[in-house]
Amino acid sequence: MTATNMAASMELRCWGADWGLPSVHTESLIVLAYAKFSGADLTVAPIDWTWRTLTATVPELICQESRVTEPAQILNFLRKLRFNADYELSARQGADTMAYIALLEEKLRPALLHTFWVDTENYASLTRPWFASRSPFPLNFLVPCRHANTALSRILLTKSESPLHTITDVEGKIYSEAKECLNLLSHRLGAAYYFFGNTPCSLDAFVFGFIAPLHKASLPSSPLQNHLRQLENLQRFCDHILSAHFSSHPGSPQPVQEMVDANLQKLTQLVNKESNLIEKMDDNLRSSPQHKPLRSDPRPNSSDHRNSTPA
Amino acid sequence: MSLAAEAFVSQIAAAEPWPENATLYQPLREDQILLSDCASSLAVQAYLRMCNLPVQVSCRPNAEYMSPSGKVPFVHVGNQVVSELGPIVQFTKAKGHSLSDGLDDVQRAEMKAYMELVNNMLLTAELYIQWCDDNTAAEISRPRYSSPYSWPLNHILAYQKQWEVRRKMTAIGWAGKNLEQVYEDVSQCCQALSQRLGTQPYFFNKQPTELDALVFGHLFTILTTRLTSDELSEKVKSYSNLLAFCRRIEQSYFEDSQAGSTSRGFSKGPSLI
Repeated sequence: MTATNMAASMELRCWGADWGLPSVHTESLIVLAYAKFSGADLTVAPIDWTWRTLTATVPELICQESRVTEPAQILNFLRKLRFNADYELSARQGADTMAYIALLEEKLRPALLHTFWVDTENYASLTRPWFASRSPFPLNFLVPCRHANTALSRILLTKSESPLHTITDVEGKIYSEAKECLNLLSHRLGAAYYFFGNTPCSLDAFVFGFIAPLHKASLPSSPLQNHLRQLENLQRFCDHILSAHFSSHPGSPQPVQEMVDANLQKLTQLVNKESNLIEKMDDNLRSSPQHKPLRSDPRPNSSDHRNSTPA
Repeated sequence: MSLAAEAFVSQIAAAEPWPENATLYQPLREDQILLSDCASSLAVQAYLRMCNLPVQVSCRPNAEYMSPSGKVPFVHVGNQVVSELGPIVQFTKAKGHSLSDGLDDVQRAEMKAYMELVNNMLLTAELYIQWCDDNTAAEISRPRYSSPYSWPLNHILAYQKQWEVRRKMTAIGWAGKNLEQVYEDVSQCCQALSQRLGTQPYFFNKQPTELDALVFGHLFTILTTRLTSDELSEKVKSYSNLLAFCRRIEQSYFEDSQAGSTSRGFSKGPSLI
């Protein structure tokens, strides 16, 4: 690939930003996150308020003459242009990536579709107003309906066991599978910042794309969101990616900085506590010379002694 | 089934031991069964053999309609009927037989992820090749699927099934793919499985798990089924550790049975046509 290719401008058409995220649409988020991780420079062209809300398949990457849709294809395309965030993964980690992406698609996506598009309360109060407000008249009547119908048919076709089942029969099953999937992801992530090592890769992009809307949207009723609130490491994962890659202050790698700062803070606190103890011992020694200096005389002082009682 | 009903069923399941007369139902082996159903059925049989649970295989033309979820295979154990590998694994676990107890949480997450990979890619690719590729559908799938029935029912059922599968493919976004892309997906899936397996005898250490049963079911069926073109089996054959894996499981778990269940000559490749 020549330098001109790499410098060619690439435009990504996606849904717009809201709720603290660069985009509210899962697939668009995946592509945006991967672009940040791999250093690809994309011009984001939101399709909000244009007629493309009805006609375009989102997300869509336009690079010179080629148009690529679907996150997996777009990621392949970016990799061919040498924007590869998976460069350092071993073969086995690459295989694990494919497996976990399949897990997300099968287990988590139906429940997310249901939460945003089929659950009546969420749909009426959050999803439909948002998408309707971002579509020009008269598409604001069509676009949310179409997405909702697609979501419902997808859930029913892939998850229901008989053509006569309604959505309520399937709900229990898809939510329990989604909760299990979130638990599995949480186990796999553990206490790390990313899924594989210290640099983000495509699996991080996919997980971020799926989980971030659930984490950030203010859904009126969502058992799945409540379940996510119990999994702190997944929330921390989302917040960390948002602050490190999508915040408006660019600059030095933040995780190392944060850890160094935290360590420094702990060290300072420890040193403060030690010096306060030594101070008190000194005072005791001076104030009552006949007693042994082991008797502590707590005084409120400037350090953070929570359980100090007034002398 | 709702969650409460599922919990109730597994409590009942736990109460009784595995009976001797458990039966597995699948469509007719010689004339009717298709690639995807055969793969699922073989996966369940492999799993039950790995757990040392006896089961008799019974072939019925209306197995799909007898099944509680519409999918084959299903097992009839005692007075309960359970279909598909996932629920069967849970059912046997309630009875106290499990292959994945020794795995820790991260390994269990990996196992489930790889099982979803096989379901998402291999099974969907098999369904696509059978029903969305016009050649295969016209020459193999439709005639086989409707072979037990007479005119006009055979036409109606075959086209109904084809329409249903094509709807599902459209919903998950595979309708826009062509055959080359599907073969490429299969190849990537096999590459991932091959890299995960490496040089180990089974996917997780020395003991087989349900993932091994599932992978064996699909790969063995792909290797021993003759379709309109050999490209699918060629994709699998290019990974030698997967071939060795299939051979090893066939020898360990299927050698004792005669022409009854599944022991086919591995390299002779008896066709399902």
